[in-house]
Amino acid sequence: MLNQLYSEVEKNIKLKDYVIEATIDDRRVIFLSGEVDDWKHVVEIGQIAGKIKDIKGVVNRIKVKTDHPDLTDDGFALRLQQATKKGIIDHADIVIVGAGITGASIARELSKYNVKIIVVDKNPDISEGTTKANNGMVHSGYDSPTGSLKAQMNIKGNEMYTKWAEELDFALVRSGSFVAAFNEEDIHYLETYLKRGIANGVPGIEILDGESARAIAPNLHTDIKKALWTPTAAYVEPYTVVEALAENAIDNGAKFLLAAKVLNIVKVEDRVESVITEKGIIQTNCVINAAGVYADEIAEMVDDCFYTIHPRRGTLIIFDKSKQGINERFIGMPPKNFTKGGGPMQTPEGNPLWGPSAIEVQDKENVEVDQQDIDFIVEKAYHLIKGIDKSNIIAYFSGVRACTYKEDFIIEASEIVKGFIHVSGIQSPGLAGAPAIAQKVEEIYLNMNPKTKKRSDYNPYRKKTKRLRECSLKEKDDLIKQDPKQAHIICRCETVSEAEIVDSINGKIPATTLDAIKRRTRAGMGRCQGGFCGPRLVEILSRELGVEPTEVTQKGEGSEVVLRKSRK
Amino acid sequence: MKRLDMDLVIIGGGPAGMAAAKQAVEEGIEKVIILERDSELGGILQQCIHDGFGLFIFNERLTGVQYAQRYIDLIEKIGIFVKLDTMVLEITQDKQVIATNEYDGLIQINAKAIILAMGCREKTRPQVFINGTRPAGVYTAGVVQRYINIEGLIPGEKAVILGSGDIGMIMARRMTFEGIEVKGVYEIMSTVGGLTRNVEQCLRDYDIPLHLSSTVTKIHGNKRVEGVTVAKVDSSLKPIEGTEEFIECDMVVLSVGLIPENELTRNAGIELDNLTKGPVVDENMMTSIPGIFAAGNVVAVFDLVDYVSQTGIRAAKGAAKYLNGSFDLNESYVLINSGDNVSVIVPQKIRISNLENTEDFYLRVKQENRKTRLIAGSENNAHTTRKFSIVKPPEMIHISLKREELIKIAYEDIYFHIRKDVE
Repeated sequence: MLNQLYSEVEKNIKLKDYVIEATIDDRRVIFLSGEVDDWKHVVEIGQIAGKIKDIKGVVNRIKVKTDHPDLTDDGFALRLQQATKKGIIDHADIVIVGAGITGASIARELSKYNVKIIVVDKNPDISEGTTKANNGMVHSGYDSPTGSLKAQMNIKGNEMYTKWAEELDFALVRSGSFVAAFNEEDIHYLETYLKRGIANGVPGIEILDGESARAIAPNLHTDIKKALWTPTAAYVEPYTVVEALAENAIDNGAKFLLAAKVLNIVKVEDRVESVITEKGIIQTNCVINAAGVYADEIAEMVDDCFYTIHPRRGTLIIFDKSKQGINERFIGMPPKNFTKGGGPMQTPEGNPLWGPSAIEVQDKENVEVDQQDIDFIVEKAYHLIKGIDKSNIIAYFSGVRACTYKEDFIIEASEIVKGFIHVSGIQSPGLAGAPAIAQKVEEIYLNMNPKTKKRSDYNPYRKKTKRLRECSLKEKDDLIKQDPKQAHIICRCETVSEAEIVDSINGKIPATTLDAIKRRTRAGMGRCQGGFCGPRLVEILSRELGVEPTEVTQKGEGSEVVLRKSRK
Repeated sequence: MKRLDMDLVIIGGGPAGMAAAKQAVEEGIEKVIILERDSELGGILQQCIHDGFGLFIFNERLTGVQYAQRYIDLIEKIGIFVKLDTMVLEITQDKQVIATNEYDGLIQINAKAIILAMGCREKTRPQVFINGTRPAGVYTAGVVQRYINIEGLIPGEKAVILGSGDIGMIMARRMTFEGIEVKGVYEIMSTVGGLTRNVEQCLRDYDIPLHLSSTVTKIHGNKRVEGVTVAKVDSSLKPIEGTEEFIECDMVVLSVGLIPENELTRNAGIELDNLTKGPVVDENMMTSIPGIFAAGNVVAVFDLVDYVSQTGIRAAKGAAKYLNGSFDLNESYVLINSGDNVSVIVPQKIRISNLENTEDFYLRVKQENRKTRLIAGSENNAHTTRKFSIVKPPEMIHISLKREELIKIAYEDIYFHIRKDVE
């Protein structure tokens, strides 16, 4: 089995000179170590190992030579000591690590039961990781290998979104998606996708000729000969879904503890006992690992790490709403020369969105945007649609996907530690799969705790706050009559009132940073990108939180907006 | 919902709107109202504490704040109706204005005429494509100006300025006064973006380095700006490999241009000029919808506030004539086109029968040139000329043409050229 790995590495001209050591344990987990020149090679070797059949996972400890040999964090011991000193701050039946789409979905699903849930996250707001920086697509499910957990979760999750959107009152636009073919080679790919889609169980999947595709989407490029059409693909604003899930979970008794990085997980014998966060210790019987790109590090804390997460960065470009309607649904292209990534689409709010790109990066916090990402996305989109160009761009940003070397989801109870559940490697189509992932975790939890009782007062419904910008004149008038601060517009691009901003700061999950306010209300998300409302938001946040303006941050400690007062 | 009937609604109480309001009353328009979204009149002038304003209108060198106060005092003295903290949400083609504020709630105003005077906004980071991260500490020059001059807050200690627009250079000096270290001004073009006097008075006098043909290619830092990469650019404005340099700073100040605030204009269905990004206007500053006028930076970005107020005055005169029915709305327009070395021109069209004795034209050149001559005429036939010793893209050219001159050339579309003087 490992011979396969060695011979593949040997065959590769860039890799053959490296001394790589591989071992495999009785759970069939491959451990890689050694030194290479470049991060790309670390990933390539990991990917070769990941393709070996019937392995449980790949732990890739290969290092890059030029990296500093000692990466141990000097401050860590001190932080752990300080956190431990804070003592036990709470008890919970379940601690969920990670307040992104995965963690929030699980929290909401398990809040049906008579269990105390605490969701912890290192960031000062929900959705701060991969969730805030993906394209918001609920994939139809033709893309994942048949039989993979990804494919199962995707197909089931996609279907479940309709009910979710009804219960939780978030925008879901089910307008379908395309993959475009320009020539015979492309059409061959479409046929492969069609076959796989049918095998996976994608409803309504078919190949349309160019004319029929353009009848659905008139701005599709005239060079497009055929297109794969999947009518069930849908679009959401991911952070609004998480907001809805979190609010509903809170209504059903769950708690969110933010800006509380997990520093360690304590076991007693082979059972989870407590979670040490920066804010103190939480005693618990169950830890659910939904930590995204950090899931491997959380698993390491309980000595059950059988996968390494390698971050794959994706860049997205957002356009002005005045270009709404140019392309209402996703258009992809078959991969050529190993190009990956998304294509042009439109968010439910009506902003055209292009991307994401796909680039392997070493640093989990590397959310930079490079020229190559932008060029890749723009060039690809120009092939697909007409009527829009770079001058309409209002924002661009990157996120990192949490990929394992097996490139599949991991949703299972730990085989080694009692009370620990892995929900790891949740990358695309993780958003689409979220409802099904949560349900699978529910099953696992109930298996572990068969005596769990349902809450008698569980309420699956959550109502979103009525937004001024979505209201008719009559409705605006009514809202303003209820609260005059609704008439004070702070963000002119997105028509956001002072009342909406104050509500978000005092909401179920208080928005305490400029970025959090942006995700809750859209203030600062429009074409001027906070140019007009930025200083006003600093003033409102400082007033509502009772802090100095110099303490107001964009995204938590260290990101203060202004540094000092000019006069005493 | 509160309903009002007005003769003239002026949207925006900055230098264009206030000048228009004062003129409108002088022209005899009775029910005039200014809607202003901020808590006082004056617009962006309220944060412009530097001087150089009012040389033409008041024959004095005033600060922006003083200039605004002159008009505010006049508005108060005349007793013009003003609604502050009031945001206009929508303008319809039949001249209904929907606005909102805390004290009235939603207001619907039926206007007989409207003057758009919403000013302009600053271009932001995505519009100039700087790669890298998205930390706190990247602000437009106008935002920095607001923090320092209005809020009394210092947004950073070490600044790199991208773009040599006027506000950027003025803020370079202002930040230096506040003890902020300005590491340099980087301009991607080979010439300065703002006025020459600002290069002298704001940069040279304070030894702030100006780097032409250079740009910021990347922003570093996850939480707060930690530095930028700058690089020289080639003639096609692409960064030259090997010239990259890391500069440590905690703030990036963008002064990369202004664009008219055109959302209300566009949503009302008014025709826009692709070059100015504002509405197409005629000699009376009237837009493509009869009775809706526009003035100041909402039309095109002017470099002097005096011009902004002048267009406000012109728009008010036009509105008065429109309201008393002395306009010919049927005559076809003569188009005013940008010819050689002219990038933008305002107005973009004229009607001969509605001309005043003299008409003002504002234009910008594409390239700097010395010893030039402005030629206005039909495509091949030049009639009217003016001489300019030097023309530069940042400095708007303002010319007044006599009615008789215009009539002579207006039998077909007019072109404005700026050509080398061959005498």
